[in-house]
Amino acid sequence: MKNSLLFILLCSFAFCQPKKAREETASPAQKERFDNSHLAALGKLKLSDYGFFKGELSDLLPAERVFPYELNTPLFTDYAYKKRFIYIPENSKMQYHPKETFAFPEGAVLIKNFYYPLDFRKAEGPKRIIETRLLIKEKQQWRSLPYIWSEDQKEAYLEVTGGQTQVSWINGKGEQQQNQYLIPNLNQCKSCHIKGQSISPIGPKARHLNRKVKSDQGEHNQLAYWEKQSILTKLPKPSEWPANAVWNNAQYSTDDRALAYLDINCGHCHNPEGPAKTSALDLTVFAQSNLERGINKAPIAAGRGAGNLQYDIVPGHAEASILWYRMNSDDPGIMMPELGRNMIDQEGVALIKAWIDQMGAPKNNI
Amino acid sequence: MRKLFTLILLLSGIRILISCGNSNFSYNPERHFSNIEKDILTKFILCKDSSIIELPEGHFLFSQSLILDGKKNITIKGAGMEKTVLSFKDQQQGAEGIKIANCENIILEGFSVEDADGDNIKASDTDGITFRDIKVAWTGPLSEQNGAYGFYPVICNNVLIEECEAIGASDAGIYVGQSTNVIIRNNKAYANVAGIESENSEQVEIYNNEAFDNTGGILIFDLPGLSRYGKKVKMYNNYIHNNNQPNFGIKGSIVSTIPTGSGLVVLATRDVEIYNNHFANHKTINVGIISYEILAALAKEEEGDLKEQQAVAVAGVRGMDQNYKEDQNYDPFPGKVRISDNKFSNEYSLPNLQSDFGLLWISKLGLNIPDIAIDGIQAPQYFLPNGQLNPDYSICLENNGEILFVNLDAGNDLEGFTTEIPENICSPSL
Repeated sequence: MKNSLLFILLCSFAFCQPKKAREETASPAQKERFDNSHLAALGKLKLSDYGFFKGELSDLLPAERVFPYELNTPLFTDYAYKKRFIYIPENSKMQYHPKETFAFPEGAVLIKNFYYPLDFRKAEGPKRIIETRLLIKEKQQWRSLPYIWSEDQKEAYLEVTGGQTQVSWINGKGEQQQNQYLIPNLNQCKSCHIKGQSISPIGPKARHLNRKVKSDQGEHNQLAYWEKQSILTKLPKPSEWPANAVWNNAQYSTDDRALAYLDINCGHCHNPEGPAKTSALDLTVFAQSNLERGINKAPIAAGRGAGNLQYDIVPGHAEASILWYRMNSDDPGIMMPELGRNMIDQEGVALIKAWIDQMGAPKNNI
Repeated sequence: MRKLFTLILLLSGIRILISCGNSNFSYNPERHFSNIEKDILTKFILCKDSSIIELPEGHFLFSQSLILDGKKNITIKGAGMEKTVLSFKDQQQGAEGIKIANCENIILEGFSVEDADGDNIKASDTDGITFRDIKVAWTGPLSEQNGAYGFYPVICNNVLIEECEAIGASDAGIYVGQSTNVIIRNNKAYANVAGIESENSEQVEIYNNEAFDNTGGILIFDLPGLSRYGKKVKMYNNYIHNNNQPNFGIKGSIVSTIPTGSGLVVLATRDVEIYNNHFANHKTINVGIISYEILAALAKEEEGDLKEQQAVAVAGVRGMDQNYKEDQNYDPFPGKVRISDNKFSNEYSLPNLQSDFGLLWISKLGLNIPDIAIDGIQAPQYFLPNGQLNPDYSICLENNGEILFVNLDAGNDLEGFTTEIPENICSPSL
């Protein structure tokens, strides 16, 4: 009652003001939304307009035709958690590919929500969602659209220029953490998602998706489940499905975990067709030779990213390896990946260090 | 090659007796910054094909890279290189100042880009890119903390860089890599490690430029293992002088191996014409023509020493890919290099003694700095089956006036070190 009175009071006050003054009382975010014709041409202005979620938007409960998915080894983004979904329009399907991103039908959308649980030890507990990135499949191409969540968590708004926000959380060890989280702008999205000349999703590939996940209906393999749901075709027999290791699961070998980590964190640029092809370094699981993989390979144009070191990987010596040096930096002129993080992935760096340190004398074509 | 290194090792001892040359260069323009980041960022993101992005007069500070991706026929235009200044000195995101990727027909003109964390302006996978009346610089004293490349088009076609200036790059001021159809003209490059560098590029013309006060004036390089190889480079009417800047490149970068006082270095590139240039006042060499073999050998030698000392993490010279011989498409030897009608002069006679080459000169030549040196390492097919010299590996010198020439004969422990100019095999087909 008190609130609505205040509301009426405020409204009437607002209407008494000349137009110009009214605009000045708007918050910067609201002001931005007054002039959104250029944005409206790109996509829906509010995340809720798509109808991907039912109930409270911030509960991220998938609506019809919206399917959650997980990756064996995900990309590191300043320790943010991610809830990923695929929207597949009625009567259409994804098509399996053994190596590349699955072929998606027109109208499909990949929905990736970035959030921090307030306490990582209760990951399903209260959380703060920062941003939602959409990849929308049009007839010929993919389009990326970034949405930033309001502080009250009621809505996320299209914002092409990115932004930054202070986040804090309690990590798995019970330690208080904080970070200036950088939300990428529209063109930065492309910097990672470009393949050849066009945008392509990174995660939805067989080797990342081939894993068991838990759902209301128990535990099931994602690929098998999607085939059963009739949203995935051309799936070969299970023995032919590739699978990357889970980077932080010690049941896998250090080799496999390191290669899986580099594949998802670096391989989207460092592959023979990616933006980092200029470096002749291939960090996908498909690299054939020591040289392609960076072992005893001199850098090409690393600038001060080379850090006074001679080779990308010096077997047995992580601290002498440019790969480790650049992962272990948070200076934008040195660090790798060069976008999408503001912090160092301590656990990831430790894995790569262990991997390089245990490498023996270089063998040909390991 | 052991003798060469033993000699160098011996001579290196002398070095500690000689004080280091330190640079006094510092670029400190007056700046009064304001912030229009969001406005400019929005224009870069939302600009339509065939449009102009106007940059106003003033000094502007940016916290992140300005990225132009997948656009056609865009002109980014400022009020002039001294009037519109984009500074990235407190950059938080991205390594480049401006980054152009996957575009067609882009023109950048009339502004300065300063102090990017990595490269000031990078362009990749772009067909048609023009830089005109652009200044790129790192301010303050020269430091290995400066960014790597000033202008950095890589894997591009149809590149034009004209009326530009490049200052303070810890790698190359004006660099073109893995690109085809390139013109670099009427530019000034100074106080960089390398002034102008063409790397693994073909159909390149470099003319009417001035390169001075760099560590190395101009580099024409071909490296193994990359997507394209370098050939057909013409370089004329350039004034390349006083490139005696102490090398401030970060170890590990190939330019960190360039000795202070190098005018022009041609590495392993084919079909290179160098004419009507003026090379002056270099303390190591006016012009050096070398193979990848000598760099690899020097690196291997040094690495061997390091391993003996169990000091792997302390790198000396740049690591060279010792497996370059596996690259079937790569030829580590320069060939069809013609150096004609150039003017050579040198006001120095005491070489740079910080460099192994300077030490070598003084031991072999006294107080004389050669104008042109070749490493003299011969390709396996240096001689044709009939015993004739293979024209593919010719290095032709003509009408360069009185010059001091040196063939190191580095492949034979310097045994054939000579100042005799070899028999010319200048082929008219060049």
